[in-house]
Amino acid sequence: MDLSNEKIIQMYRTMKKIREFESKAAELFADGRIPGFVHLYIGEEAVATGVCANLRDSDYITSTHRGHGHIIAKGGDLKYMFAELFGKETGYCKGKGGSMHIADADRGILGANGIVGAGHNIAVGAGLSAKYRGTDQVCVCFFGDGSTNQGTFHEALNMASIWKLPVIFVCENNLYGISMHQSKHQAIQDVADRAVAYNIPGVVVDGNDVLAVYEASKEAIERARRGQGPTLIECKTYRHRGHFEGDPTTYREPEEVQEWLQRDPIPRLIEFMLENNVLNEEDMKKIDEEIAAEIEEAIKFAEESPFPPVEAAVEDIYTDIVEEVRR
Amino acid sequence: MKAIGIIANPASGKDIRRLVSHATVVDNNEKVNIVKRIILSAQGCGVKKIYIMPDTFLIGYKAIQDLKISKELKIDVEILKMNIKGNVTDTIKATKIMEEKGVKCIVVLGGDGTNRAVAKSITTTPLIGVSTGTNNVYPEMLEGTVVGMAAGAIATGVSNIDESCKREKRIEIYKAGQLVDIALVDCVISKQKYVGSKAIWNMEDIDMVIVARGHPASIGFSTIVGTSLIVGKDEDFGAFIRVNSGSNRIKAPIAAGTIQELTVDEPKVLKLGESVQFKPNYNGIMALDGEREVPFKIGEHFQIKVTRNGPYRVLVDKTLEIAQKNGFFKT
Amino acid sequence: MIKTITYSEAIREGMRKRMRENPNVFILGEDVGEFGGCFGVTGDLIKEFGPERVRDTPISEGAIVGCAVGAAATGLRPIAELMFNDFVTVGMDQLVNQAAKMRYMFGGKIKLPMVLRLPAGAGSRAAAQHSQSLEAWLTHVPGLKVVYPSTPQDAYGLILSAIDDDNPVVFMEHKLLYAVAGEVDLDIAPIPLGVADVKRKGEDVTIIATARMVHEALAAAEELSKERIEAEVVDPRTLFPLDKETIFKSVEKTNRVVIVTEETKRGSYAGEIAAIIAEECFDYLDAPIVRVCCLDTPIPFSPVLEDYVIPDSKDIIKAVRKLF
Repeated sequence: MDLSNEKIIQMYRTMKKIREFESKAAELFADGRIPGFVHLYIGEEAVATGVCANLRDSDYITSTHRGHGHIIAKGGDLKYMFAELFGKETGYCKGKGGSMHIADADRGILGANGIVGAGHNIAVGAGLSAKYRGTDQVCVCFFGDGSTNQGTFHEALNMASIWKLPVIFVCENNLYGISMHQSKHQAIQDVADRAVAYNIPGVVVDGNDVLAVYEASKEAIERARRGQGPTLIECKTYRHRGHFEGDPTTYREPEEVQEWLQRDPIPRLIEFMLENNVLNEEDMKKIDEEIAAEIEEAIKFAEESPFPPVEAAVEDIYTDIVEEVRR
Repeated sequence: MKAIGIIANPASGKDIRRLVSHATVVDNNEKVNIVKRIILSAQGCGVKKIYIMPDTFLIGYKAIQDLKISKELKIDVEILKMNIKGNVTDTIKATKIMEEKGVKCIVVLGGDGTNRAVAKSITTTPLIGVSTGTNNVYPEMLEGTVVGMAAGAIATGVSNIDESCKREKRIEIYKAGQLVDIALVDCVISKQKYVGSKAIWNMEDIDMVIVARGHPASIGFSTIVGTSLIVGKDEDFGAFIRVNSGSNRIKAPIAAGTIQELTVDEPKVLKLGESVQFKPNYNGIMALDGEREVPFKIGEHFQIKVTRNGPYRVLVDKTLEIAQKNGFFKT
Repeated sequence: MIKTITYSEAIREGMRKRMRENPNVFILGEDVGEFGGCFGVTGDLIKEFGPERVRDTPISEGAIVGCAVGAAATGLRPIAELMFNDFVTVGMDQLVNQAAKMRYMFGGKIKLPMVLRLPAGAGSRAAAQHSQSLEAWLTHVPGLKVVYPSTPQDAYGLILSAIDDDNPVVFMEHKLLYAVAGEVDLDIAPIPLGVADVKRKGEDVTIIATARMVHEALAAAEELSKERIEAEVVDPRTLFPLDKETIFKSVEKTNRVVIVTEETKRGSYAGEIAAIIAEECFDYLDAPIVRVCCLDTPIPFSPVLEDYVIPDSKDIIKAVRKLF
C-alpha cells in the first residue's frame, strides 16, 4: 500500500483546514455575519479527506447540504468559499448559491446540494458521461444516511450498477437524519447492506479513521477506473455539532456525544503521526499556523469583497437570456 | 440450569474484503433469522433459558419480538443487561457475563474476528462458532437449526463435554513477557503501519505468518503455510513461515476468490509452547485472524507461541451422534 | 431537401442530424432503443447509433432527468425522453431544483445543454395520468426553456435549436400530432427559440394557440371567415422565451385576443400570456382577453367526457363571436 508520509501529512492538512474553516464559520454565523443556514462538517473530516486524497482534479464529486468539507478536500479555495458564505460577489457562485450550493466545475465539484438525495442521480450522469467519453474519470457521490431512504438513492445505485458506471457512493453515516436516529429511520444498521440489492460491493469502514477511509476508497476508485463499476462505502461517523448551526440537538444523549468526541478523527491521526514519526510537533505547529493564516486571509478577502450589484440577480439564469429588471 | 448464550456480531461480514476480494456478504437481518432458528431449535431440544448479547442492531430484540408475535417462543430468552459500545469489547464482556450466569454453551455468530474476541475471555464453556463473517477458517458454515440442537444436547447433558468437545489451539503474543493478545488461526506480521480498514490483504507488506492451523482446503493467510505444510487443528504443533523471502514459489488462496502467487521460505514447525522471537527492525502491525490489531515499533521484542489454551469447541456432528445414541431424539 | 414526413419523424430526423454531427449528443429514456420509443419517436435510431447513444433506461424518471443533468454538466448533450409529460412529476426535483437552478446557483459557471422531451396532451383516451398539459408548471420555473411545436416543420427546426441550446430545454410534443404529416425542409436553419409564427393572417382578432390547438384555431378561423371575421392565428412555438413582439404586433392590429391552450384553465400559461398582454398592451385592447382552455377537471377516460372537457374549434368560434 503506497501511503507515503507526504500523503498522510497532506491529509492532516486537509482535515485541519476543514476543522478550522468550519469552526470559524460557526463563530461568524453566531456573530450574525453569515446569513442563512450553515450545516457544519466538524467531526466528519476524515471521510471527505480520505476519499478525495485519491481523486484527481478531473474527477467529479457531488456533495450535500453539509458540503464545505467535500469542497475543501477536493481543492476548493477558502477565499472564494468564505466570500460565498458572506454572499459576496467574489464568492464561488457570485453570492447566488451560498453555503448549500458551492460548486467549482474546474475542480469537478458538481455542487453542494440543498435537496437531500439529489446528488445521487447527478453523480450517475457524471459517471455515465465519463464512461461515454472514454475517460477514466470517476465520480464520488457523498451523502448521508438520511438520504438513503430517498428513491434517488435506489434509482442511482440501480442505474450505476446496470451500466457499470465509475461512481463511488460514499455514505457518511452520522447516525441521524436531521433529528431522527438511524434506528428509527431505517430497519438496518449498515447502509452498506443495501449494496447487495444492486449487486455491487458494499463495505463498512470507520469513518473517523482517515487511513481506513483512504484505503477503502482507493480500492473502490481504482476498481471504478478499471471499469468494474460502482461501490458503496459506508463511513461510520458523527457530526459534532447540530444538523444546522442553532440546532439545540436535544435528540442526542450527552454520553453519546462524549463517546464520539473521544473518536475525533483529528487527534487520532495526530497520535498516529507522532508515534510513527510521520510529523513532529514542531512541523505540525507550522502547518497549523499556515492554515490559521490562510483562513484569516480568506475571511479578510471575503469581508473586503463587495456585495454583488442588484442587477446581478437577473443574470446567469440562462447562458443567453438576461431577465428584465422590473424594479 | 439448562441455559445457553448467543453472541451475534452485527458488524461481521461487511469489511473491505467485499471490495478487495469477492467475500461473502451477510446482512444483519439474516443474522436475526439465524438467531431465531437457533432459539427455536434449542427450545425444542430442552434448553430452558437463553441469554443474548445486546448489540447496536438489536439482533436479539428483533428475534425475540418476531417469535413472540408468531407465538412460537415458549422459553425465557433474555438480553443481557450491559452497556454496549458497538465494538469488540461488547463481545468480550458478554462472554464473561454469560459464563458467570453459568451457561452450558455459547453460540457465536461472526467471523474469525468475533470468535477471537470470545476466545479472549472464555474459560471452559464450550463454544459453537457459526460463520457469518468473511469466508472464515475458525467458525464453520452451520445451519442454525442444527446448532440449536447441538447446544440443546450439551445444555441438557445428553452429550458429555469430554467426548463432544475439543480444546483448540491458539496463538499467544507476548511483549516483554506479558500476554498482549491472542489469535485462533493466524498471526500475520506486516510492514503496514496502521489499522486502517482493519482487514489485511496486501501481500507485498507481509513479512511472516504464524499459524495454529494451516490447510489447503481453507482460505486466508494461514493457507500460506497450509499449501506447503498441513497443520491440522487436532495436531499438537503450529508453524511459521517467512513471506517475500526465500526461494519457494507457491500459490495460496489468501482471500475469497483470490489465488495469490508468492515467494516464501520453508515453513517451520513450532512445537506447542515453543516461541518465535520477533524483534522488528521496522514499524509495522500484526494482523490477528485477518484483522490488523497490534502495532509494533523498532526495538520492541515479542514472543509468539502456539498453545492448546484455546476455547473448547463443540464438535457439532459428534455431539449429535452421541445424543442420538443416548436417545435424545426420542419423545 | 423537402420531404413529406410526420411530426414524429420530423423530431427523429432532427435528432438524427445532430447525432450524426456531434458525438456528444445522445438519447436516454424508457424503451427508446429497440422498442423505438413509446410513441415510436426514436424509431430506428438505435440501428444507426447503437445502444450507447440510444440508451434504454430503467423506469426511473428521477434518474433519467438527474442523469441527463449530470451528463450535461460534464460535457455531453443528452436528450432525455419521458414517456408522458405527466411522469415529469416523478422527476420534478431533478428538473426544477437541479437542472433549472444549477447554472444560477453556481454563479453562471456551468452550462446544462440538455433536452427533456415530453409527450403531452389529451385525446388519446388515456385518462387523467397520461393526458395532461403541464406547460404552466414548466414555464413557471426560471432556468427552463419550454418549446411546444404544432407542425412537422416547426418540430424539426425547433428540436435542432433545442439540442443546440446550452440551457435545459423542455421539448413538449403533442401526442395527437405525432401522425400529422407535412412538408419539411430538412436543410432549413434551426428555428430559433423565442420566435413565434403567424400561421394565418387576419385583421379582426388574434388567436394565440399552442400545439394541437393551433390546428383547432385554424379550423375555427376558416369558419369565422365565412362570417367575415378574419382571425390571425399566432403560434408562439416557444412558450419561454415568449415572442412578445409578434404577439403585441398582432394585438395592435386586431385589438382583440383569444388565447387557446389545452391546459386546465386555472393557473394556466394562457393566463400568463393574458397577463402580459394586459400589462403591456392594454391600450390596444377593445375587448377583454378571453382564454379557451380545458375545463378544470382531471382528464376523464370516456371519449364522450374527454371530448367535452378539451377545447375545440367550436369553443374557439364561440369565444371569438362574443368579442364582436
